[in-house]
Amino acid sequence: MPSTRRAFLAATTAATAGLVWPHREAWAGPAPARVPAPASAPASADAGARMLAMSPLLRDEPLAQLAVDAARKAGASYVDARLVAWQREQISVRDDHVSDVGLRTDYGLGVRVLADGAWGFAATQRLDSKSVGDAARSAVSMARRSALLMPEPISLVATPVVRGAWVSPMQQDPFAVPMADKAGLLLAAARVAMAIKGVAHVDATILGVREEKLLITSEGSRVHQIFHRVLPGLTATAIDRRRGRFVTRDHEVAPMLAGYEHVTAADLVGQAPVIADEALQKLHAAPVVPGKKQVILAPSNLWLTIHESIGHSTELDRALGWEANFAGTSFLTPDKRGKLKIGSERVQITADRTQPGGLATTAWDDEAVAAQRWAIVEDGVFVGWQTTRDLAAAVGDTSSRGCLYADGYGSVAFPRMPNVSLQPGAEGYTTEDLINATDDGILISGRGSWSIDQQRYNFQFGGQFFWEIKKGRLTRPLRDVAYQANTVEFWSSCDMLGGAASYRLGGTISDGKGEPSQSNAVSHGCPPARFTVNVINTSTNTGSGT
Amino acid sequence: MSLRRSEAQALVKTALKAATLADVRVRITSSRSGNLRFAGNAPTTAGEVERLDVSVTATRDQASATVSGTTRDAPGVIALVRRAEALAALAPKDPEHMPPLGPQTYLRVDAEDPAVVKLGPDERSDAVARVLKVARDAKLVASGLYEHVHKSMSFGTSAGLFAYHADTTVTLTTTCRTSDGSGSGWGGAMSHRLADLDATAVARRAADKAEMTRGTAPALAPGAYTVVLEAQAVADLLGFLIGSLGARAADEGRSFFSRPGGNALGEALFGPQIRVYSDPQDPAHPSTPVGTDGLPLTKTTWIDQGKLLALTTPRWWAQKQGRAPVPAPRSVFMAGGTADVSGLVRGVQSGVLVTRLWYNRMLDPRQILATGLTRDGTFKIDAGKLAGAVKNMRYNESPVTLLKQALALGKPERVVDEGGTIYVVPPIVVEGFHFASVSDAV
Repeated sequence: MPSTRRAFLAATTAATAGLVWPHREAWAGPAPARVPAPASAPASADAGARMLAMSPLLRDEPLAQLAVDAARKAGASYVDARLVAWQREQISVRDDHVSDVGLRTDYGLGVRVLADGAWGFAATQRLDSKSVGDAARSAVSMARRSALLMPEPISLVATPVVRGAWVSPMQQDPFAVPMADKAGLLLAAARVAMAIKGVAHVDATILGVREEKLLITSEGSRVHQIFHRVLPGLTATAIDRRRGRFVTRDHEVAPMLAGYEHVTAADLVGQAPVIADEALQKLHAAPVVPGKKQVILAPSNLWLTIHESIGHSTELDRALGWEANFAGTSFLTPDKRGKLKIGSERVQITADRTQPGGLATTAWDDEAVAAQRWAIVEDGVFVGWQTTRDLAAAVGDTSSRGCLYADGYGSVAFPRMPNVSLQPGAEGYTTEDLINATDDGILISGRGSWSIDQQRYNFQFGGQFFWEIKKGRLTRPLRDVAYQANTVEFWSSCDMLGGAASYRLGGTISDGKGEPSQSNAVSHGCPPARFTVNVINTSTNTGSGT
Repeated sequence: MSLRRSEAQALVKTALKAATLADVRVRITSSRSGNLRFAGNAPTTAGEVERLDVSVTATRDQASATVSGTTRDAPGVIALVRRAEALAALAPKDPEHMPPLGPQTYLRVDAEDPAVVKLGPDERSDAVARVLKVARDAKLVASGLYEHVHKSMSFGTSAGLFAYHADTTVTLTTTCRTSDGSGSGWGGAMSHRLADLDATAVARRAADKAEMTRGTAPALAPGAYTVVLEAQAVADLLGFLIGSLGARAADEGRSFFSRPGGNALGEALFGPQIRVYSDPQDPAHPSTPVGTDGLPLTKTTWIDQGKLLALTTPRWWAQKQGRAPVPAPRSVFMAGGTADVSGLVRGVQSGVLVTRLWYNRMLDPRQILATGLTRDGTFKIDAGKLAGAVKNMRYNESPVTLLKQALALGKPERVVDEGGTIYVVPPIVVEGFHFASVSDAV
């Protein structure tokens, strides 16, 4: 059991080798890098090519073309039509039994038009020519009505016309693995965890997602893509009824753009006793003493802090006020690009829609703009926005960064986050190096509670597991820890980074944004890193501890 | 159009007739929605969407599987039944599986407004134009969403149950900001009836707050304050408590409502003036009478005179514990008084007025301790009057505090919800409400 520092490090690094940024050669297909954008995509792996050729969406492709033609005829200056099919297969286990087996599919067509300089959108799951034609015409009439209220028309930057197809690389199709095998794996993991005395409940799950879309634009682009994402999960609950306390401990595995091999690599059965034991350690951990402290944030914790504080604040639509009513705006305004220092010189943050395994990795976005990699923060200075064709035009850029995305046929595509990652340090430090260099601090791993304001200044994050660090050594587990900071102060305090070998991807398949709300899948890579923050004790609302 | 009762019933019948297993359940949800978004005083995106989901759960020998798809013709629905039955044959047993419910009696609820069903681009555009006029006249920058939904849900079982509910919802929310970005105000309204939505009034509320928060706001020191929470902020926080009302988590020792060997039912946990209930038949705010699994939703009192009277109890847990099942609420009403927000402010010597709360997350379920931030209108109160805007603040606080330490309750109102559960709650004056840190966000 990892009750020692060394065992902990073993559990969070070697034993979770499946979470390591996957080596390129380990992937079945070619990496989706497209810099500069080619006119057509490289061929997918054979399995991918077969998958594309057998796609039921091809049967309905004439309807997508019909939607484009009908909207053009009705007066649209630009049209894109998307056929989108989602499949979600979930199996869940609670304690000693299966609690949910589901295979959910969702399929339809969405048509987005620009007419008189305004956007219109309509979507239907009735895939017949009358319904699709009606949807296209209705989108145009919506746009025309909106245009009457617009002082300035929307414009789009140019983008090359592309025709191509791409399938996200994977080794084993998650939908091809029999349900009974998945159930067997989860029941075995739950059984192992339940065998640890003091563990009251175990929840385990495997979610497999297949997203397929065929996009046709009035400019002549045609893009057909298939994505597979998987999310294994395991949570142990420990309860102390006498003292009225309970805790949960989650496996820190991240969702990934990958096949079933990612579930296998998460080693749920092998990790189950570790997770279970750590739940008990959490239950009996010492309360944290609050105050200003150094914290070492493991990648399994830091990814979400990157996501909230840097990922969302560098979305140009937020900076321009387009999301002011719900998600909010940003402390970064358009004039700050290339000028504002938001972190220490070692902070290099990159957006990358070509990153292997990244949940937001793609070959083209939802308006056929090729996937790219670009700098967001260079030497601590904010330098790059996330953009789409209309956003780029709004600030005078000449091309889009390719961040347009819709979460299904019934959702209008709008700017969504690419994979945004903190680059590892050149010194090549390990997590142990960071711990050894820390006199008084806390090592925080995993995702806990998270909350940040609507301009991305003030945030407060919890975690899954907390180790006290004294004089360069992990001493004992702590409980009720959260850290509070201001985005610029936080990134300015970053004074140590792990090296490339400590870099991991974290991520989420349900990042909410927009009205009506949509969900995006996105990853964030990072090494462990050290910061100075205000640590609070969450067992009391004063944060001052029990 | 969302599916009418006759269409839905025919589809459910087709599915059940095709079933070979003895326990099959069919759920059909369908909707037609329209929306117009705006920002920077102009429309941004507009959309009309038709959705349909047919979901079939088949069970054989306690082993179940659910398969769903977007199909409305008989062959498509029958294919879903076949796939669900095939998957159920491979699925492991769930000892907590309950037999299907037979016919039930539901409360009569009329939650469809024909005026909302008929809404189109012209009406959406007219409503947004009214908001933009208020903002432009006041030299403010408006953003927001106007949205309407007509949806229906049908549920049938091979034990003879058929349930159907349809409703409409129309929502307008807007944020007005000063052009220098120093002030921000929010207004919102939601109803099943079009006539209840006054776009100009919603915009004026947002615009007034934007004006009142213009300029550099001072920061208050973190700490405990007497706070007037507007109804929207009360609902934002109360949702955590409603979501924690599960009997199973309580009985298993995983909840605020856990007690050694049992739960807190019957305990006087809150102030004596606190009453919280659900009512599908409320004439102004009707909600579905059909719960998960087809259980009827009835008028349920959760808290009365501060005493916890009910916990949500799924069928299997109810059977195991020898209690009646209690479905989760789809409407939450909290009793209050007659004062409006300004009336409540008049009664506060020194405190803070909060318009709404944002990015609310559970911190510690043992105490239902949540965190989040104030947003779009936070003011200092001095001697019963608003004494200017203050910077937004992060709170670390529990809805339990709200219900325990409430000094006064105002007139309940419908707030804007995101989770599909209706909240009609009063603004509340609470003492000892904790703010943990200051935010520079406007």
